[in-house]
Amino acid sequence: MSKIGLIISREYSSRVKTKTFLVLTILVPVLVGGLAFFGMWLGMKQQKHLKVLVADPRNLCEAKVYVGQNENPPATFYFSEDLVLIEEFESSKKYEDYDMLIAIDPDVITNRTINAASREEPSEKTKAFLSSKLEARLEEYYAIDEGIPLDKYHKIRQSYSFTVSDLQGKSFDDCEVQDVAQAVGMGFSFAIFLFLVIYGGLLMRSVLEEKTSRVVEIIVSSVKPFELMMGKIIAVGLVGLTQFAIWLVLVIGIMMAMQPFFAGDIDPAMIADMTNGLNTPAVENLSVGTDNCVQEAIYNFINWPILLILFVVYFIGGYLLYGSLFAIVGAASDSEADTQQLLIPVLLPLMFVYFLSFSIIGNADGAAAIWGSQIPFSSPIIMLQRVATGTVGIWEVVISLILLAGTFVLTTYLAGKVYRVGILLYGKKASWREIIKWIKH
Amino acid sequence: MEMLRVDNIVKQYAGHRALDDISITTKKGEIFGLLGPNGAGKTSLIRIINQITGPDSGKVFIEGRELKRSDIESIGYLPEERGLYKKMKVRDQAMYFARLKGLTKQEAKKRLDEWFEKFDITSWYDKKVEELSKGMAQKIQFITTVLHEPKLLILDEPFSGFDPINTEIIKKEILRLKANGTSIMLSTHNMNSVEEICDSIALINKAKVVVDGSLKEVKSKYRSHTYAIQFRGMMFGFANALFADFSLEHSEQLDEHTAVAHVKLLKENSLNDLLKTVMPIVEIESVHEIIPNMNDIFIQAVTGSGATTEGGQHE
Repeated sequence: MSKIGLIISREYSSRVKTKTFLVLTILVPVLVGGLAFFGMWLGMKQQKHLKVLVADPRNLCEAKVYVGQNENPPATFYFSEDLVLIEEFESSKKYEDYDMLIAIDPDVITNRTINAASREEPSEKTKAFLSSKLEARLEEYYAIDEGIPLDKYHKIRQSYSFTVSDLQGKSFDDCEVQDVAQAVGMGFSFAIFLFLVIYGGLLMRSVLEEKTSRVVEIIVSSVKPFELMMGKIIAVGLVGLTQFAIWLVLVIGIMMAMQPFFAGDIDPAMIADMTNGLNTPAVENLSVGTDNCVQEAIYNFINWPILLILFVVYFIGGYLLYGSLFAIVGAASDSEADTQQLLIPVLLPLMFVYFLSFSIIGNADGAAAIWGSQIPFSSPIIMLQRVATGTVGIWEVVISLILLAGTFVLTTYLAGKVYRVGILLYGKKASWREIIKWIKH
Repeated sequence: MEMLRVDNIVKQYAGHRALDDISITTKKGEIFGLLGPNGAGKTSLIRIINQITGPDSGKVFIEGRELKRSDIESIGYLPEERGLYKKMKVRDQAMYFARLKGLTKQEAKKRLDEWFEKFDITSWYDKKVEELSKGMAQKIQFITTVLHEPKLLILDEPFSGFDPINTEIIKKEILRLKANGTSIMLSTHNMNSVEEICDSIALINKAKVVVDGSLKEVKSKYRSHTYAIQFRGMMFGFANALFADFSLEHSEQLDEHTAVAHVKLLKENSLNDLLKTVMPIVEIESVHEIIPNMNDIFIQAVTGSGATTEGGQHE
């Protein structure tokens, strides 16, 4: 193994094998996922699966109600052609297994009323489910009764796609999805910001550890200071990527596990449309509610592979840029307390960019967003928001990455110069003025 | 045969010159003492030899050829500012350093076992460094410095942090390494150990070499031609006899009849002349020259004063 490989291997394993890393990497997503599932489980527990007795003396429903394959129905229908009185339902042993009685009045088509009596109050979701299923079934009956063939009825019943555009023809509805996508991008921006601060700080402490423990001179008598610095930067970056990869796998797992629960919330009209296999294109455009918009953004709109790849690429670029600045601070300090003051010029731009990332929400193509996504000190944080909205051109990403690469090559070179002098300077904290002197020397 | 040659090294830092045209040569298989007060430039020179920093001008040669990057694997360096990774296990740490010096995993493990068994410290393998005492950590550092069997060993204050027993153990090991052909450069402020184990020295002061040569040559150079004479008789008569040709530097009455006088030869006078002068006056019991010790030489070379003291080494 090459010497830089040895350094990377030591630095990486010494960080990955710590309890803190294990707790942060594995326990946090598991805890977050666990809490989410716990919340769902509680919700599901409240939504007890109901046995619903439908008293339908005229057999209007023909003892059937369509339930889609992907549905997670909160209740099961049982049909009876007997007239069941509430008193009977309440006291008779025959009905004790049923939670709810729904009476289909023979005149239901004209009086438009369905009455139900329940032993316990059902959830809103259950009520909506029951009502939509029965409505769909009764409307079919009504259509036939009126002499409309069922296929014609379904054609008429198809939902309309209603979109509102601005005067330039740009859809406001799409913008909502874009906003959700940008919010997802914002999450990535925050993750990059967090990663830069966490791993930059880790790198700084790693440089400082060798200085304060006085082990650095032994190491640099075997490897070049620049090799040591690069070994550290790469190893800590790999620790970050490892953590990200584990989080990604866990998050994808959690999201996939949660998707059926989301699917259960999809507009009942869509399920109704599927009753007779009439899965119309209109169903695809059901961006009516906020939930659908979020789902649309998450499951359809955002180009996840591109976003994830660029997240990794921008994390690497941003980390190399800011990491080398953190390494400078570590090399120029003599203790952790010394770093505070020197860190200000490194953290300030990061904080500024982080706040800037809030200000561009809803305006991913504004001047601030465009400039922010090109300037290397802000592009790792800002660009992902724009990428998530899908409005950014490839050439913009390419230019931004070239600028970022050029800048981190420069900062790494400068860091190498400072590192060489700083790590061997014991018992003294350097000021930024001195650091610049070392660079010039 | 030459081991290391440093030719006209200059190293300038912002604001001060750390090394000003330094040239030294060490022989193969010798222990070379690199001496000097704090801030004289020793560490700067050692770092240049270890290729941690580069000189502004001048060259370093090892075994007659110019120093290359790959030579770091034939140099062992124990810096004055030394430490270990506190959270790392002793074995992992020693293996890491050995492999950075170019040893294979198998070779490093084999040699490590040999050294740990020799020092009877195999039980430390799985300890973390933070669990070790300072002396124990120093031992580990010494082992990691010599594990790759370097041709040139550079030890900067190797005895600091050791108790007298461990100092002796390390001293013996240094001498054993020398006997096995290792060339050693020793930088220390402990002048007793310089006297004990160094073959030659160079003394750097204010970025320049002020004294260098074999220990014998240096001591000879700093002779003050002062002799200690023990005699029976009157000190008064003895002092009067010296007159203007000799100088009485120090005198001490040992008992009623016996005294010791330190007499410095002046002008071209020899010991014979001195003896001829005092023999008629007193009965001489013993005579020996007062040779300056390294401590005196160090002080004299650095401050430009302080001739031989009472503590001088007698021959």
